[in-house]
This record gives sequence, structure tokens and C-alpha cells, in this order.
Amino acid sequence: MKTPADPVRDYLAAVEREASALPADRRQELLADLAEHIEVTRAEHPDAATGEVLSELGDPRTIAATALAEAGNGATGGPARGSAGAPARRGKVHPLVPLLMLTLSLPFMMVFPDHPGPLFGVLFRITGAVLLCTSVHWIAVQKTTGVMLTAALPTAVIVTWNLSSGGPAGDTPALLANLAMLALVAGTAAWLWRVRRA
Amino acid sequence: MEPGDSTKQARAAAQLRKGVLEYCVLALMRDRPRYGVELLHALEDSGALATSQGTVYPLLSRLRRDDLVTTTWQESASGPPRRYYALTDSGRAALDEFARVWPGFRNTVDSFLTTPHPSTGDLA
Repeated sequence: MKTPADPVRDYLAAVEREASALPADRRQELLADLAEHIEVTRAEHPDAATGEVLSELGDPRTIAATALAEAGNGATGGPARGSAGAPARRGKVHPLVPLLMLTLSLPFMMVFPDHPGPLFGVLFRITGAVLLCTSVHWIAVQKTTGVMLTAALPTAVIVTWNLSSGGPAGDTPALLANLAMLALVAGTAAWLWRVRRA
Repeated sequence: MEPGDSTKQARAAAQLRKGVLEYCVLALMRDRPRYGVELLHALEDSGALATSQGTVYPLLSRLRRDDLVTTTWQESASGPPRRYYALTDSGRAALDEFARVWPGFRNTVDSFLTTPHPSTGDLA
């Protein structure tokens, strides 16, 4: 320990460096486990060379990688995993949420055509589109198609319609157009639901 | 033999080890608590389960967090105190469940490896 070059200290420092992505408490725990292992092994085999003990313990990078894998993915783990130390992950919203928001925004606007209704409808649609795009349940091309058909196209059609005609004469055609749009949106949402990844 | 064959073999062994190692570690604690270095020696002596020693500690740490094992410090006649790992009830349950599933799993793999797999529509 008094030697200027302490291989054990260097080894543990290397593990600490490689495991810098681990939460601090996990990293300290790992270092304590390894330090204890080295101490116990030395006590049991007083004649073993330190270098040998360390090389049997293995490459610091491999150990750190294993620790990261154990800390990161709960898929293979036992019960009650995931919350500890895992940062809240984006895109983990249930896949129904964006789909319902996108689908319901149109009927919402139809039922509440007066002032706050359309505003909420548009907010629903924007939120739904954002949630769809950040979700882990679809690949990029599915997200693009989904946003085009459930948000961009209805918005464009409604804006165009309101700018070009508008007025009481268009009530029945407007209703038909809205229903057609609703069918398209619902169909797209159903398709997204079917192709989602678990 | 082509170059790379031994790497492939090593990878197959590593994949298998990854799946069963934690249950073998639990099995080592079935009859009595064990300390870390002791567990590693047992794994090493087994041959097939031998792995870079240090990688077992993250596994033990996860078993502890998942409440499958508990640890206690015990003084030793020689050297520093040891941290002993013991099965909890849920650790024992996980081990029993694995022991129940494993024979069928092993037999299934064996049967795939030994008999030609019949193709569909091939039956008389």
C-alpha cells in the first residue's frame, strides 16, 4: 500500500472511470464489492501475486459493462424492477393515448363548435401528434403517415373549407366532410394500433 | 475449421451462461449462505460457468436489489469480515420455479439437436 504505484488502487480507479455512467450509489457498491473481493482473496492466498488476483477479476471495462447492463435493463430481472435509479424515459406513454387524442379531437370540435371547443380540439391534436412522434411504439415511417393522416390532413382540409366557404348553406356537406374525415382518422388510428410495437 | 469458429463457440457459451448464471448462483446458496469469493470459486470449478470473476458482483448486486438474496457480514478467523449471501423466500421461490422449468427446457433443446425436425405437411 505504501508503494507509489498501487495496482489495486489503479484497478479500482479504472473500474470507477469505466462505470461513470452508473448511478453513484451503484458505482460505490460495485467498488466496495471488488475491494472486498481483493482483500479476501489476498487473505486466503497470501502468496498470490496481486497482478494475478486482479487479472482473474477481469477487465475493468467488462465489469463496468456488465454492471451497466444489470442496472439498465429490467427485462431479465425479477420482480419490482425499473423504478430504482432509472430516469423517467420519454416515449413510454401508453400507445392508446396519442391515438385517442388524435381521433377524438375531431368529434370534440364537431360537438363543441363554439369558441373554446376548437381551441381544445387543436391542442388535443397537437399533443397527440407530439406523443405519437416521441413514442417508442412506432417506427419513423409509421409516425409520419400517422401524423399526416390524423393531424395534418384534417387541419388542412378544415382550414381550407373555412376559408373558402363557411356559412350556414354548407351545413350538410360540412357534416358529411367531417364524418368522412373522422372515418379516415379513426381508420388510421386503428391501423397504428395494429402495427404498434409492444 | 474456419477462423472465427472458436469465437462463435465462445459466444454461444456466453449466451447460455448469461441465461442460467443467476439461477446457478442462487442454487449455490440453497443449503447455506456463501460469501462472494466462495461463490466465484464454485463457479470456476464448474468449468462451463466460469466467467470473468468481477462480472458476478453486478449480478449479486441485482439479486440483492431484487430481494432474491440478503447479505450479512460475518467475522472470519483469517482476514477481513466476509459478506455472506443467503436466499430470501422469493429467491428460493425463483430457484424452485427455475428447477421446475429447466428439465423440460433441456429436453426440448436436446430433442431439437438430436432428431431431425419434421417439416410441416410431411406427415403421413
